Amino acid sequence: MKSLLKIKPRLLMLLSLCVLSLNAFAMTLQEAKSQGYLGEQLNGYLGLVQNNPEAKAVMDDVNTKRRAHYETIAKKNNISASDVAKLAGEKAIAATDKGNFVQNAQGKWVKK
Amino acid sequence: MTPLTQISLGSLLLAGLISGCAPTVKIEPPDKPIVINLNVKIEHEIKIKVDKELDQLLTDDKLF
Repeated sequence: MKSLLKIKPRLLMLLSLCVLSLNAFAMTLQEAKSQGYLGEQLNGYLGLVQNNPEAKAVMDDVNTKRRAHYETIAKKNNISASDVAKLAGEKAIAATDKGNFVQNAQGKWVKK
Repeated sequence: MTPLTQISLGSLLLAGLISGCAPTVKIEPPDKPIVINLNVKIEHEIKIKVDKELDQLLTDDKLF
């Protein structure tokens, strides 16, 4: 009984740590953008402004989804996916919130 | 001579005069085939369509 009581707080701490880390992993795209980790690139995909493993995970996930959408639109209209992506990039940069990072014509990150 | 025949004679003469004076205009077909480029319109239509589809995509805050 005594040992069980001793273990319990540890277990609780471990559990709470697990929950915390899970929560930390669940960074949303909008958070990653507003916190300056991710920015919109000219090529229509997200880029890593500041290295952060969580942000990178979000970026990879979103970029994969974006690629799939670009390819669908490209196929439907008989044009190349990179053309669709480029147009999307222009739009995304134009639509991004003030204070977020975007890539300028020289390929440098600038705060919008 | 009735006035009508007078007029028609006059116009005939005039027509003859005009045709006599008029230089011959030769229309030569171009040696190259005539190409009408419709790509611009098609490209434009595609751009508008893609534009709309992308606008739709951009409303998804999990993607953009």
